[in-house]
Amino acid sequence: MAPPAKAITSPVPDAWYPTLAVFMLAIGLVLTASFFIYEATSSKRNRSLAKELTTGGGFGSLFLLLSAGVYV
Amino acid sequence: MGISRFVLLVFTISMLASPALSDLVLSKVDRRIYLTSHIVRISSTLEVENAGPETVSKVLLAFPDLQAQNLAYLMASPHEAKAKVKVSVVSFPIDVVKPEDMPPGVTFYSVSLPQGLTVGASFTFDVLAVFTQALRPMPEQIGQADIQLVLYQDSAYYLSPYVVKVQSLSLKVPDSRIESYTTLQSTKVQGSEIKYGPYENLPAFSSSPITVHFENNLPFAIAQELVREIEISHWGNVLVTEHYKLIHGGAQSKGEFSRLEPQARENVQGPSAVRYLVAHLPPRAHSVYYRDAIGNISTSHLRGDSKKTELLIEPRYPMFGGWRTAFTIGYGLPLQDCLYESEGRRFLNITFSSPMIELVIDTLIVKVVLPEGSSDISVAAPFFMKQWQETKISHLDIVGRAVVVLEKTNLVPEHNQYFQVYYKFNRLSMLREPLMLISGIFFFFVACIVYMHADTSISKFSASYLAKQQWEEVRVAIQQVHNIICRCLATHDKLEASLRDLSRTGEVQACKAARKSTDGLLKELSKELKPLMTFLQSSPSAVQVLSKVEELVAKEKELLEKLMAKHSTAVEAYEKKSGARDIENRIALQQQKITALRQEVDDLLEFIDEI
Repeated sequence: MAPPAKAITSPVPDAWYPTLAVFMLAIGLVLTASFFIYEATSSKRNRSLAKELTTGGGFGSLFLLLSAGVYV
Repeated sequence: MGISRFVLLVFTISMLASPALSDLVLSKVDRRIYLTSHIVRISSTLEVENAGPETVSKVLLAFPDLQAQNLAYLMASPHEAKAKVKVSVVSFPIDVVKPEDMPPGVTFYSVSLPQGLTVGASFTFDVLAVFTQALRPMPEQIGQADIQLVLYQDSAYYLSPYVVKVQSLSLKVPDSRIESYTTLQSTKVQGSEIKYGPYENLPAFSSSPITVHFENNLPFAIAQELVREIEISHWGNVLVTEHYKLIHGGAQSKGEFSRLEPQARENVQGPSAVRYLVAHLPPRAHSVYYRDAIGNISTSHLRGDSKKTELLIEPRYPMFGGWRTAFTIGYGLPLQDCLYESEGRRFLNITFSSPMIELVIDTLIVKVVLPEGSSDISVAAPFFMKQWQETKISHLDIVGRAVVVLEKTNLVPEHNQYFQVYYKFNRLSMLREPLMLISGIFFFFVACIVYMHADTSISKFSASYLAKQQWEEVRVAIQQVHNIICRCLATHDKLEASLRDLSRTGEVQACKAARKSTDGLLKELSKELKPLMTFLQSSPSAVQVLSKVEELVAKEKELLEKLMAKHSTAVEAYEKKSGARDIENRIALQQQKITALRQEVDDLLEFIDEI
């Protein structure tokens, strides 16, 4: 066999999954809450906030799934 | 009936035997037949001598057809003198051949020697043949408390197309009683071993049938179907799920079954029942589960060390002859133990067969599920198996994952070797999963926005709808008034700040400049306020709040005037250069009024905010 094989690991270390999940979900949920409050109280709508908080919530839910053992 | 058929076949072979194959002579054959489990293993050490005129590179091995039907695994390797040291075995390639001029009823296998055997030289190698279903239970049906007796038939002389100079045979049975065995000349029994031989100078294809009837209570577990699913996730885990359908392949159970007796005297009652199974999982296996269609089965033990993880599972009931059970075992392995990268391709290196020890598998299906986005898939396996590809849709998938399916029949634990699955994967494809989650949440928010925008009133001219519209407009106007008043208050704060600066530094010019700029700002703000106030006064639905708003505006004006007065007195006082005490006394009264007014304005602002 030509070059020796190198073991492959995940891009983010396993041990960090629960910590990352908690932080990113916290950020995502806070932004989600502020989005809904703003929508409910003001009579003018906004769109740019939606994009911001999807990234926070999306990565947070991915790490939540991974730390729970559902390796997607 | 089976015995007489075997005997007849063997005699036919020896009668019809043609002269031996030229060239090769087996100078020494040592056979050891291990009957200690339901899998029969025959380990033979052959010393081959080339007596012929030319170099030979192939040696033929012969098995009677009846035996060859049950042959599961055949391996030839060079002889290791020191049996204790386990070196990695290099095996010789073996093929099935059908040479001409051979007696019928015999299957031939040809072993290719890497370096040919020159004339006069001799070479020793080991052959391991593993047979399934070679032990026949006799009697075929036993009660719950009976012991299990099995029958094994073979030939005392080694069946070979060559002349054999010296040969010996030893059969090892489990440490229990031997019911009967065929006695030929030079037969001895030593403990649990039956030795036949040594026999000298036998012609080719000679055989002499022997039968051994003995007690074998070791578990006869056979997996009729095993589906092994290996799912790779690049986030750090390889998940293995194994679905078993087991049957007890020994003597069938007859008569009544009593649950109490096996529990009361375990070693005496039902000695041949399958009570537990042991599996050797790879080291660092985690999240091991054992369940069946009903739910989790808790009778299991797990123990891990650095070489393996040992799992001992007990089925829900002890399996007697002919009984079946089905269950699922699953475990996860860390990714770095199994997945490697070389030459731009990734490959999975994992064992092929079940981790259970001493389990015969009738049909094994291995499914390797590769992550979405894998391409260029190929399999490298140590033996032949049927392959094809499927698709599976799993978590967060769009098109589905590629699945490589491998199928093989009649497996024994010797088949549990490593195989590799090669594929190409782009690292950026891993981002697809978080992007799917993000887009899902994004669409949810967009849906919320659309819902809030949507106007679902049926009639656009009804009184309530119009009233709601007007109220919305009033609210907007009030919010704008609120904004303006807040900005006014901000400019007031600026003025106060300039006064404080004055008391600190004593620079009058800066103070006057600040006064001028705030004057300008306030003028603009009052201009903005005017149209809003007119609109509010004219709109009919703003009647309730109008009074409060007007009060707010009036108070704010008052506050402004007082503040301006205070500012002017302060500036004059500084110009006249009167003492600090003096200045404070003058503005003290005004200051009180200002703070009171400020408080009222703040209250009104809060009230308006809540509308």
